[in-house]
Amino acid sequence: MPIITLPYTYLERLVGADRAAILDRLPMFGSDIERIEDDHADVEFFPVRPDLFSVEGVARAMRGFLGIETGLPVYEVRQSGIGFSVDPALASIRPFLGSAVIRNVSLDGAGIESLMGLQEALHWAVGRGRGKVAIGVHDLDTVTPPFRYLASPRERSFVPLDYSEEMTMEEILEQHPKGRDYAHLVRDFPRFPLIVDADDRVLSFPPIINGELTRVTGETRNILLDTTGTDQKAVQIAVNILCTALAEAGAEIESVTIDGQDVPSLAPMERYVSVQECSDLLGVELTPDAIADLLQRMRFGAEPAGSELVRVLVPCYRADIMHDWDVFEDVAIAFGYDRIGADLPRTFTIGAGHPVSHITAAVRSIFVGLGYLEMIPFTLTNERVLFERMQRPPSPSALRVLYPISEEQTVVRTDILPLLLEALQANKHRELPQRLFAAGDVVLGTGTYQKAAAVSIHPGADFSEAYACADALCRELGLTYRAAGSDDPAFLDGRRGACVVDERPVGVFGEVHPDVLLAFDLEHPVAALELDLRAVPGYPGQPDTPSPGAR
Amino acid sequence: MELTLNEKKLLIALAPVESADAGALAERMDTREEAVVQYAHLAADRGLVEVRRVVKPQYGLTEEGMAYAGKGLPERQLFESFDDRIAMQELQRHPLAKIGIGWMRKKGWIAIRDGIVEKTGDAPVGPDERAFQDPGQGSEGVRDLIKRGLVREDEVISHTISITPAGKALYSRGLDLREEVGTLTRDQIITGAWKDLFLRRYSVETPPRKIHAGKIHPYRRLLDEMRRVLLDMGFTELYGGIVQSSFWNFDALFQPQDHPAREMQDTFFLDECWPMPAGFERIRDMHEHGGETSSTGWGGVWSTAKAEQCVLRTHTTCLTIRHLAEHPKPPVKAFCIGRVYRREAIDPTHLPEFEQLEGIVMDEGVSFRHLLGYLKEFYARMGFEKIRFRPGYFPYTEPSVEPEVWVDGLGWVELGGAGIFREEVTAPFGIEHPVLAWGLGVSRVAMLKMGLKDLRMLYRSDIEWIRRTPVYHPETRQSTDEAG
Repeated sequence: MPIITLPYTYLERLVGADRAAILDRLPMFGSDIERIEDDHADVEFFPVRPDLFSVEGVARAMRGFLGIETGLPVYEVRQSGIGFSVDPALASIRPFLGSAVIRNVSLDGAGIESLMGLQEALHWAVGRGRGKVAIGVHDLDTVTPPFRYLASPRERSFVPLDYSEEMTMEEILEQHPKGRDYAHLVRDFPRFPLIVDADDRVLSFPPIINGELTRVTGETRNILLDTTGTDQKAVQIAVNILCTALAEAGAEIESVTIDGQDVPSLAPMERYVSVQECSDLLGVELTPDAIADLLQRMRFGAEPAGSELVRVLVPCYRADIMHDWDVFEDVAIAFGYDRIGADLPRTFTIGAGHPVSHITAAVRSIFVGLGYLEMIPFTLTNERVLFERMQRPPSPSALRVLYPISEEQTVVRTDILPLLLEALQANKHRELPQRLFAAGDVVLGTGTYQKAAAVSIHPGADFSEAYACADALCRELGLTYRAAGSDDPAFLDGRRGACVVDERPVGVFGEVHPDVLLAFDLEHPVAALELDLRAVPGYPGQPDTPSPGAR
Repeated sequence: MELTLNEKKLLIALAPVESADAGALAERMDTREEAVVQYAHLAADRGLVEVRRVVKPQYGLTEEGMAYAGKGLPERQLFESFDDRIAMQELQRHPLAKIGIGWMRKKGWIAIRDGIVEKTGDAPVGPDERAFQDPGQGSEGVRDLIKRGLVREDEVISHTISITPAGKALYSRGLDLREEVGTLTRDQIITGAWKDLFLRRYSVETPPRKIHAGKIHPYRRLLDEMRRVLLDMGFTELYGGIVQSSFWNFDALFQPQDHPAREMQDTFFLDECWPMPAGFERIRDMHEHGGETSSTGWGGVWSTAKAEQCVLRTHTTCLTIRHLAEHPKPPVKAFCIGRVYRREAIDPTHLPEFEQLEGIVMDEGVSFRHLLGYLKEFYARMGFEKIRFRPGYFPYTEPSVEPEVWVDGLGWVELGGAGIFREEVTAPFGIEHPVLAWGLGVSRVAMLKMGLKDLRMLYRSDIEWIRRTPVYHPETRQSTDEAG
C-alpha cells in the first residue's frame, strides 16, 4: 500500500485544524499511521481509496470527518475550448483517453511533491502498474492545441524526459530506464500510442514516458493532463482524482473536448439508499436525517428523500462506491465503530466437528499414548526429499507449482514420512530415542486427503517396533487390515510390510533403508510407518461441487 | 545417611589400609575397578572417603618397536653385523641398512671414507638403548624413542581412595552387611517375604532420570483451543481441498480478475484447470455489471479461462463460500482452520504456508453490530479481553473492520480482519441474509501467545523445544474453562 506523506504545515493549512486533532482521528477514519516525524507524518490508506493518496485529498476528507466543512465538495469546470482527437487504430492497443486542463496551479514544494506522489500512487492502485491507466502531466504553455492521440509507427522519434537527444520509440523501450521498466505493456503492438500537438510535436508516449518538451517545473502555471488506458472507468476516475486534488490546492479546472465530448464533468453520481437497509445492516437504528448528516461528514451530498430513502450524491473521486453497502460503510465510519456496540444474535446452532478432524484427533491421541511427539511439517517440499532421497520413483501425480519461489518448495507433499525424516535430520544432535509423528494433508493430482506417519530413531529401532506400532495404530483406529509383503524401496528388503485393506495397500511399515538413512544424514536405525487415512472407517466421501444459484 | 551395600563393602575393605589404589581394592572386593570408583564417588559425596584421580603416562612398544624387541635398536644390530670395516655397497645389502647407517653416523659409531665404512671404536650403549630394554620405566632415553615412533605414550588413569575421619568413625560403629533388595519380585510381594528383606533406601536428593512424554505439538494445542472455542460457540467445522480453481478462490468472492493478488507474484498457480460449475454465469454477470443488485460490478469482460486456473488456496474463504453455496438457507454458523498458501519467501515472520482461521454467521437479521459481538466474544475466549474496532478494507466484505486487541507490552495489535460479505458475493448463490465473516492468521496468535520470534519453529520444530514446553498452560486453561 502506498505511504502518503503529510507535511504538517501544508496539511494544517488545508484542513484548518491542528495536527494533534487530525492525527488523533485518522485511525478511526481508516488509516494506519506508520511514522510520526517532527515535520510530517507518514500514513497508509486502503488501496480502494486512491482519492486519499494526496495531502489535498486527505485534507478534504478530514475537514468533513472533523466537522469543519461537510457535504459534497463542488468543483466548477469551465470549458477550455481545447480539443483532442483519438485515432480509431488505438482501439486494439490502448483505446481510452481522459484529459483536462488545470490552470493557475502553484507548484511550490509541498504542492509538487503531493502531485508527484499522487501520480505514482494512482499508477499503482488504479493503473495496476500503468497497464490499466497511465497518467501524463504537461506544461500546457509549451505546446499548441488541438492535440491528437494516435497509433504511431514505432520508428517515430522525439526527446524523452530527462534526455537531450532524440530517440526512436523502439530505442526508448531498450535504453530509457522507464522504457525498460514498462516495455512489456506495448512491445507486442505493431504501433505505439503517442500524443502530439497541432505542430506534430510529441507530448507523450503513453504509458511509457513524456517528452522533455512539456516538462513540468516550479514555474509551470497551466497543466494539460492526459490519462490513457484500457479501462474507461479507471481512466475517468484517475482524471477526477487528480483534478479535484489540484482544485483543492487552489487551481481551476477546465474541460477538454475529446472527439466532440466534453470531459471531465466532475459531477457526482446519484444514488437513493434505503434507511431501513442501512439500519438493519449496521444494527443501529438511524433516521434519514441522521444518515444524511453522517454521509455529509464523509463528503457525500446527502438529503432525506421521504421517510424511507436518502438521496446520496457520490463525489466523482470516490472509486470505491459500487454498491449501496459501500455507502453504508461510510455511515458506520462517520457514526464511529467505537459507538456501534457489540451484541450476540439469538441464532441457535449446535457446534459440530468435521469427520476428518475426528480421525486426525484420534490418530494424535493414539501416537501420544505410544510416546510419540507431534510434528506439523510444511506441506510444500521438493522432489529430492519426496522421491530421490527416499529411493522412490517420482510420482507423476505429484502436484507441482508453476512458479516456485525456491528450489526447496516445488511440489505439494504426497507423503508425510519424508518430512519426518527431515525433522529427524534437523534434530540429529538431540537426545535419543526420538519418536515423531505427523497427521495431515497430502495432495495427489488435485485431490487433498490425509495421511499419518511416524518414525522412531534409536540404536534398537527395528522392524518389530515398526510393525507393532502400525498394528497398534490400525487396531486403535478400528481398521482391519491384512499384513502383506512390500516392495517399497525406502525400506530394507526383508524388513518391510504393507497394510492391505480391501486388496488395496493403504499403509507401509518397516526399517528404513540404510541408504535412505544416509541420504537424510541419519546414523541410527529408524522404524517407520505411514498410513492413508482414507482407509479409516467413517472417512467422509468427496463432496460434490456446489453450483451458484442452483436452488 | 543411607549407604548402599557396596559403599559399606568399600569402607570395610579400605578401613584397615586407610588408603589404596582402586585396582587393589577391586581385587580385595572381588569386583571391577570401575565399580569401585563408582562406589567411592558415592561415598565421597557423603564425605566418607576421598578420591584422588591420578593420571600417569605409560610407555609401550609400537608395532615397529616390537620388531626390534630383544634384538636391539636397528643401528646396534647393524653395527654388530660386521667387523671393523666393510664396503658400503656390501653393508647396504643388510635389511636394516636404510635406518641403521644414518643412526650409526649420527651417534658417531662409524666414519665413511671412499666407500668404506669404518668403526670409530667408540660405540657406548646410550640412554635410548637402555630405555628400549624396558620402556615401561619411562627413563631418560624414552623421549627419543617416542620421536622415532618405536615407543608409544598413553595416559593411565588410576584412583587412589583414602578413608576420611568421618568414614573411619562410621566404620568403627559397625556396618550392617545384609544383602540389599532393589526391585521387589512378584514372589516377595505375594508371600510377604519382603518384610524380612533389607530394602534398599533411595535418596530423593538424587535427581530422577528425565523421561520425555509423547505430546501434542504446542502449536496444535493452540489450534485445538481455537477449534474448541468455536465448537463451544455453536459453529460447524469445515474441511476441504488445498487445490481450488480461481473461480472458488477469487471470482466467487468478487475479487476482480485484475486484482494484484491474482498475479503469479503473490499466488501459487498450478498447471491445472477446473471446469466452471453450473450457474457460473451468475458470477460472471456480477463481475461485469453487478447482476441484479445495486452494484455496478467491476466492468470489463470476465474471463472463464482465468477463472478455470487452479491455485493453492490463498485463504480458507473458498471453503466458506462453497459451504454457503451448499447451504444458502439460514442459519449457518461455520468455521475452518486450515493451511493457506502465499507466494512468499521464507524468513522469520513470513512463510509460504500458514494456518488461517475463519468463521461465518449467516442468519436472518444479523448485522454489523452482531459481527462486532462475535469478534468480542471470540477474542475474549482466546484470552484477549480488551478489543477495539477500526475501519478496514477487504475485497469481499462491506462494511469491513480490523479488530485490534490489547497486548501488555505491545499495545494495540491488529489481529485479523472481518466484515459482512458483499452482496455481490452472496447474491449469485441465492443467499438472502447477511453473512458475518472474520478471519485471522493463527501464526500471529502463536507469536503473541507462545512468545515465538521465528515462525519457522512451528513447522521445523526443535524437538527439545517441544519436550520442554509443558502440556498444561494455566492461561490457556483459564480461557477455555470459562468457555466451557
